[in-house]
Parts: sequence; C-alpha cells; structure tokens
Amino acid sequence: MAILSDYHYYAPSTLGEVLDLLSSYKSPAVLSGGSDLIVNLKSGRVEHDAIIDIKQLQKSELALLKKLECKGETLFIGSLVTFSEIINSKIVQKRAPLLVEMAKTVASVGVRNRASMVGNICSAVPCMDSAPVLLVYDALVHTKSIDDERTLAIQKFFISPRKTLLRKKDLVMGISLALPKGKLGSRFVKLMRYRGEDLAQANLAILALSANHEYRVAFGSLSGTPLRATAIEKVLRGEATLTEELLTKVKNILPTLISPITDIRASKEYRLHMAKVMLERGLLDAALRREGSGSHLGENLI
Amino acid sequence: MEFSFIGKPAVRLDGKEKVTAAARYVDDLDFGANLLYAAVVESPHAYATIKSIDTSKAEKAPGVVKVITGKDFPYKFGMYMQDRYIFAQEKVRFVGEQVAAVIACDAISAERAAKLVKVNYDVLKPVLKVEEALTIEGCNHSTSEPILIHPELKNYEHVPWFFPRPESNIAHIRKIRTGDMDKGWAEADHIFTDTYTVPRYAHCAIEVHAAVGLYDFSGRLTLWTASQSPHTQRHLFAEALAPLGVAHKDVRVITPFVGGGFGGKAGVSMEILAAALATTVRGNPVKVLWNRAQEFYNTYQRQGVLAQIKVGVKNDGTIIALEQNLYWDAGAYVEYGANVVNAAGLSASGPYRIPNLKIDSYCVYTNLPPGGPYRGFGYSEFLFGLESHFAEIAKKLKIDQIEFRRKNCIIEGDRLAYGGKMNPNGLQEAIERVASEIKWGEEEKTTTKAHAKNIRTGKGISLFWKAPAMPPNASSSAFIKFNEDGSINILVSAMEIGQGFLTVMAQIAAEILSIPIEKIRVETPDTDRNPYEWQTVASHITWGTGSAVLKAAEDMREQIFCLIERALGKERKDLYLKAEGVRSHSDETFHLLYKDFVISGIPMEDGTFRGGPILGRGSFMPEYTSAKSNPETGQGGKPNVHYTVGAAGIVIEVDTDTGKVTIPKVVMAVDAGRVLNPDLVKGQITGGVLQGLATALYEDMRFDDKGRLLNPSFTDYKIPTTLDIPQEIVPVMLEVPGHDGPFGARGIGEHTMIPIAPMLANAIEDALGIRIKSLPLTAEKIALHFQLHSHKLIANDNHSSL
Repeated sequence: MAILSDYHYYAPSTLGEVLDLLSSYKSPAVLSGGSDLIVNLKSGRVEHDAIIDIKQLQKSELALLKKLECKGETLFIGSLVTFSEIINSKIVQKRAPLLVEMAKTVASVGVRNRASMVGNICSAVPCMDSAPVLLVYDALVHTKSIDDERTLAIQKFFISPRKTLLRKKDLVMGISLALPKGKLGSRFVKLMRYRGEDLAQANLAILALSANHEYRVAFGSLSGTPLRATAIEKVLRGEATLTEELLTKVKNILPTLISPITDIRASKEYRLHMAKVMLERGLLDAALRREGSGSHLGENLI
Repeated sequence: MEFSFIGKPAVRLDGKEKVTAAARYVDDLDFGANLLYAAVVESPHAYATIKSIDTSKAEKAPGVVKVITGKDFPYKFGMYMQDRYIFAQEKVRFVGEQVAAVIACDAISAERAAKLVKVNYDVLKPVLKVEEALTIEGCNHSTSEPILIHPELKNYEHVPWFFPRPESNIAHIRKIRTGDMDKGWAEADHIFTDTYTVPRYAHCAIEVHAAVGLYDFSGRLTLWTASQSPHTQRHLFAEALAPLGVAHKDVRVITPFVGGGFGGKAGVSMEILAAALATTVRGNPVKVLWNRAQEFYNTYQRQGVLAQIKVGVKNDGTIIALEQNLYWDAGAYVEYGANVVNAAGLSASGPYRIPNLKIDSYCVYTNLPPGGPYRGFGYSEFLFGLESHFAEIAKKLKIDQIEFRRKNCIIEGDRLAYGGKMNPNGLQEAIERVASEIKWGEEEKTTTKAHAKNIRTGKGISLFWKAPAMPPNASSSAFIKFNEDGSINILVSAMEIGQGFLTVMAQIAAEILSIPIEKIRVETPDTDRNPYEWQTVASHITWGTGSAVLKAAEDMREQIFCLIERALGKERKDLYLKAEGVRSHSDETFHLLYKDFVISGIPMEDGTFRGGPILGRGSFMPEYTSAKSNPETGQGGKPNVHYTVGAAGIVIEVDTDTGKVTIPKVVMAVDAGRVLNPDLVKGQITGGVLQGLATALYEDMRFDDKGRLLNPSFTDYKIPTTLDIPQEIVPVMLEVPGHDGPFGARGIGEHTMIPIAPMLANAIEDALGIRIKSLPLTAEKIALHFQLHSHKLIANDNHSSL
C-alpha cells in the first residue's frame, strides 16, 4: 500500500532547524525509526504536512540523540536509541536488565533494529511495551522546543490512547531513569497470542527492591494509558515474604485498578484473568531474582 | 524395485534461483515505460444495491487514463458455476467487492482517483451466517424468511454434478445415502449427537496476488499472473471475454515463480480484472497488484462450516451409522467453493468403515467474501468435528482411542460412501506407527520446569484421508526435448509453489532416461509453449503430471530404440538406457551416448543421417472416473481416483492458568504410495503440521456485524513463526503403491495438515478433560474453558459433600 497523502520531507542537519520546522508546521511528525509513522501514513490513519527526519543531523547533535550512558545512578537513553541497541548495550544489560527483557519482546528483530524506545512512548498506543518499564523506574522525559526545555515525569506523560503531554513543537531528546541502589530483582511479563512477534494483550513490569522490601508494579494494555499499581505497591511494602495470603490480596485489588477491554486480541475476561496470573508469577520471580535465583532473563513465565 | 533417482534426495532444481534471487515473481518483471496501474473501488457494504456510480471526478484526476465500471463488462465467469462478475452488477455482495477500477499512469494516482469515484448504494440487510441464510433444524434463527443473495440462481450455468436449490441460498447439496439409517439407529447401542464449528481462514501466501494484462493491437491477450492454474485461467479468460472476440489461441498466460499458493491462487479471482482492463487500454500493459488487506478479503477464503454429527455405535465400539449435516459458509460467490462442499460431502465418513450413512453437505451463500479452495479442500473442516466426536465416543464407551480406530478404520476393498472399493493403503500400519512413536498409553513427563504444578500433559490422535477433488477428466500433459549435449528440458504447466515439483518431475524423467538431475531443466509455464495442465491443486501433480512426464520419457525411449534399430540394426529387445546413452544386453561394447545422436541423428556410411531431434510427449487422464451419480443418494459414479490416508499423533503440555500449549512432539504417518523424494515429503509433513497448528491454535477470520473483516493483516491474523514450532516433528513415510501414478506414487501435499486440529483438540481433552467444539483452540479459549470447568467441578464437589 502506498502513502497517498502529501507531505514535505526534511532531513535537517541541526537541531535548531528541527525545532524551527516543528514550530512552523501545523501537523509535523518526527521520523526516527518510522515503524509506527510509516504504517500509519500508509493506512491513512494520520496525515502530516511535514515529516522531519532526525537521523541526518550533524555528528555532535546526532551523538546527543543516540546517547546511551550511565552516569552515577542515572541511565540516559537518547531518542534515537533503538530497541536493538538497548538489547546489545553492556551497560543496560548490567544496570537495567528489565529494559533488555522488555525490548526483546518488542516486534521482531528487523523492527527492533529501526524502532526507538522514545518513538514507542511518543506513539503512546496502550499496548506499548516500554511504558510499564519506564513507569517502575520513575523515568523522566526530556524535551526541547524553540521556546523551552522541559522535563516530564513519565507518570503524567500519557493522557489517553495515542495522546501524551507532548506539544506539536516538542522534540524528545531522551529519557533518564533513576537506578535504585542495592539488591534488585526485576521482571517483565508480556501476554502474547503466540511466541512470535505480537502486540501485548497485556504487559507488566515489576521491580523488587531490597530496601524496605519495596515493590514497584506497572501494567500496560489493561487500561487507556499504562498504569502504576500504587495500591498494590502499598500492600506489599515492607513484606519480607510473598505469602499466598498476600498474593491473593493484591490479586483481589487488581480489578479495581485496571479497566481491560474486549478487542480482537483478547477478551476483557481473559485479560483480567491473565493479569492476576502475571502479577502472581511476576512478583514471585522478581523476588527470587532479587535473591540471585529465579528465571533466566527472557524465560517464558506464562 | 531398484531405483537410481526415485526415492533419493536430490538438489532442488529451483534452489539456486531462489537463494540468489534470480527467481522472478510477477511484480518483479519489468513491463517498460508504458505500464499502467489499476486501483479498484471497493464496496463498503456486505449487501447493497448500486443506485449510481459517478466517475466524473476520478476521470479528471491527474494521471488517470480510464475509469471502468460494471457497465463496461457485463459478463459472468466461474470455475464450476458461473455466478461471479468481473465487476459488481446492480448489487454488491461482500465488503471489498470490486465495483469499478481506475487505470492510471502510476499506482498512487490510481489509488487517489479511486477514492474520488462516488457510488450511491441502497444498503440491504446482509446475511452473515449460515444460520441466517437458511432454516437449520436445531439452530436458533429468526422466523422471517431468509434473504435471497442470488435470486437468479436458477439461471446460472454449472457443472452437471451440482444441484442448486433455486429460490433459496443453497447453491448445491451433495447428498450421500448408503445402507439403511433406520436399521442403523435400531442396531446401535448408543447414539451420540453434537455440533462443531470451524471459522473461515486465509491462505497467507507471502506473495500477494498480482496480475498484468496486455491486449495488443493484433488482438493478442497476454497475462502474467501469480497463479496455480495458468491453463484454467486461459480457459476462463477466453470464456469470459468471448463477447469481445477473444479466442483460446489468442490468450496467453505466463506464470513465473509463485510465492505460495495453498489453493488461494487456484482458478481465477482478481486476475480477471487484469484481463478485462487490458482490453480497454490496447497496447499498454496494466498491472493489478493486491495489497495485504485485499489479499485477505478479496481472494478466496477457506470456508467456515457448521457440522451437526450423529453417530450410532455398538457397545464394542463398532460404528454402525453416521448422519452428518455440513453447512458451509461459502460466501458471496461459490463458483469454486461449491466444489469444496461437494468433495467434502463425498468423503465426510472419514477413513472409516460405516455401513449406514446419511450425509448432506450444503453450499450456502452468505454476504461474506467468496469461499474457495484451500489446502485440504474441505477435509480439515469436516474432520475437526468427526475426529473430535469419535474421540468423545471412545472415551464415553471407555474404549482406547487407538483400539477404536483400529476397529473402525477403512481397509482395502471396503465399500466407499459413493460405491466402489477402497484402494490399497497403509492406514492400519500408520495407526500402529503413530501409536508406537508417541508411546500411546504411557504417561508423559512434563518438560516444562516453570510452574510445573499448572502443567498437564495430554496426547491426541487423528486419522485422515483425502482424494484429489477433480473433474473426472482433469488431465495433464508433458513434452520433453533433448538438447545437443544430451541434457533435457521438460515442459509441463504445473506450478512450482514451493512444493518442489520441478525436482520430482526431473527425478521421474531421470529414472526412465538415465540422465542425472543436473542435466535436466524444468521451468514455470507459458501456455503458448507448455502443454496443457488442468491446475496445480488437489495434490495431484506428482501423480497426474508425474504420470504425463513418465509417459513422455517412455515415449522418448521408444523413439530412441526405434531409431537405433532402424539405423544400426540392433535388436530392440536387447536395448536399454544407461548412463546418458543406449546400451545393448547382447553387445556389451555398444554404448551410444545421447549427445551423439539425439539432435544431429545417426550418421550412416553413405554420409546421410537417420533420426532428428527427439521429442517426447505424454498425456494423462484417469479414464476410470465419473461424476455421474444419483443426486438423492450420491450413488452410481466414481468421482474419486483414490484416497491417500494416514494417521497423526501429538504430545502436548498445557498450562491450566494461561491456556498456553507447548508441543514436545508431533508424529505424522502418511502413505505416499511411493516416496519419490523423501526430503520433499518431509517438507510437506513439516509444513502441513505447522499450517495445521496455525489454524488450530491462532488463526481465524473475524467479521463484525456489518460483514467487515476485522483482521486483514498479520498484526491480528497470526501465523506461526520459528519460535512457535513443535520441539520435534517425526515424519513416517509409508509406501503401499497405487495402480497408477509414477511408480505407484500418490499425492500427500494437502493431507499433512488435515488431522492437526482434531488431533490437538483430542490432546487438550486428554490433558484437561474439556472438549472444545469450535476452532481455533486459542490459549484464551482453553484457559477460560478450563476455569469454567474447574469451577464447576469445585461447585459439584461442594454440592456432593453436602
């Protein structure tokens, strides 16, 4: 299928030009991997008057957007960093394996080689895989526009399906994650119709911290926007052992937090049922991983 | 029999072309600067009357050459029943049906202009289910009379073995009556009744449909198509366009490599557009290229079926009577799909000996896309219900599943449903081999470590059979040409659709002519140059085209012997072919190489030559089949040439919480008659198992209440990836030769997917104690069924403890 709508295509060499273009067009789109944008243009779901390709910037600015580094306890992921680069990064593997576990479930190898994680959250479809992980890390989204620079908390970033706090003039520069100190266990669980590449019917990210026996839990694809399950976290806080009673308690809270829908990928009933299964298995595995055992990274949990 | 090439592995003839990308597909071909592109205007409604079409805006759009509507082509066409139109006439009958087409200088201009064509519709209430299309006993349906989709049905031309019911939505009923049903029910100790449903499926060939048509100023119509049926296409194009003065000799179909068929590229579907549109822009080739969504909703789909099954059995498990009503959701046009209904009706007993049979197989019009051929041709669909039902019966009678099948399976000489006798076959051996390979009766240990407490194991089996579904006179032919160096070119018109038939044809000729495979070339057809082939369908190519190639090679051998006798005075009876030449039993020193005479002839002492280029020809048609039968009983004819049979078994692990199935092992035993190429049979087994598992576990076409397909893309229509394949697939190849076919070979291509769905359903029942009666068996369906089932068990337990 061809793209039938007309648009201007730009490949600026400076960030200044990018920001100028973003502010001067009515409905511009930033092109990084294009794995969402091109599909949407082809299907006619979106039309843009300008497509601004940010992959041809001058070296120093390109390096800024491709930055993937850990300084102290802060992990910065530039907006051009692809899922494959996250998977292959030694730093991420060591410091935030949860990102790797998530990234490996995104689409297929070919798409991961192009698609960026920032693009994933900018598209903000409810089934995106990045969001729950970024939520449990309390990530910050750094943006730039012709007028200002902003730092947005991921918790507030998503407004509704396909809608975020980003304004038309904003360019996302990158995301930063605050890495917790001490022993840590983490788990990403994604419900798919089969083992091949699939959009999430539901997904879940968990961090099990050693300090105060704290757990952080976030779900995706189970409501209009991804959500941090603070009510569950509260119940679990300070609990040294995940008893059956405790697990039952949080599973019972779950339906009050999420609002799964029935669509072609799954029924509401199955999503709700599986969210509980995923929560229980995910928590147990994250707790084990915190102690150095548990499943291998990427091992099937469901 | 000792063979040199048959039964041996061989390097694929098309291997190098495909790995080096030398192989070209329709969309790869270069048609030059004059190539035009067509885009179709599609119906947004499942059923509507066309009030008016306004093309004026589109005609003025940039790049547009012409806009064509139904008025320009008021012609019908069809494979077995002429109920289909090139463009919709008066009414549209499914969402996506072509109403008009724009021809433009480039694809984007054509697409843009197509959006400017304004069609006014009177929207009608669509019929989206077989239960709405006709009154079915035992099904809920509205009291109002069903809406007629084809009021003109009585006027449609069709093959003599179809029996339409005018003034209804029934395009054909295949009836089978044998024995005495009353007596059967009376003799039965138990009667079991149930209903099973199978949804629609898509073929999902990686290459989408593509066709380019060129009508030149001399009146020659050439089509380049991605097709399984070049000659049948030529015939249907010539028939449909006869009013324009097009004759068979003027139509030429060239079919390059095809990227997957699975039945979807049989017959004629969208290709008719390229043929028709080409006639409106003489001298310019016109390309029609489907996008992936169109590939889903405007080509053939595998038909859905609702199967009502009633079975009478004796206490010892002997099946005494079977009544089966099959209601096929055949879609808006049934020109091809009605024959699926027919074939399934003829064989709906499955590979079982059942003395009393009553089968009614209904071809039902609905306002969904046209149904049509799909690997298995109806057998996968009815077998899901039948083998599931038999497994339930055996369980209820506490008879072992293998024992139940041993007792009831059809054997050589048994009477077939339509009369005639069952051919020699290896079904019993297949059952034993499968039982032993999956260690039937032994408890399976789980291999999954995680969450072992939620993992249950199960085993399931299913038998299968299938006959090629063909007109009684479907035929194949072959030419073989020698080249100066003694190499040969085989000309046939079967299609290479991935199955590897080119290589098998080479092996057959190699065996007769004693020429190594490397010196044989077989290519995709051009109907001008290559001899007739009915179609590459029905798993009949190895058997049918193979027979033609065998005859052509024998014809060459005969010509060679005659020439040598005539020219050199050698006794014919002593001659034989060996190592690329001719030898004599009576003269060991005699060895005349092909390269020394097959083109240039044999030199004589006087300087003259004898012979000339040697050309072989072979034709094959089964002369023992007939489709003539009593419409009320199905008795009297011999519609099927033979059945290929087999058995399959599976070992599964299911997670009771998630419903996810993992598959440690699948065993597939198939009787190929003769295995001509073991690698390719193994390939068919692997492919069939995977395609079968896909239809059983993931796939189905979902429509909304307006008849719109909800999942016309791979985002939501899932076919398995390498991550989803079973841990082990064990191929078992049996050889009980047939009376014809090359070296006794029969087709096995479609068969390997037929038993998969019921086999899996039976394994799930074995593992979890739940019987799911509708496909697909998704993780969601299994988990929710199991949750419901275990809650019921708990509720019952509580109840009994009170």
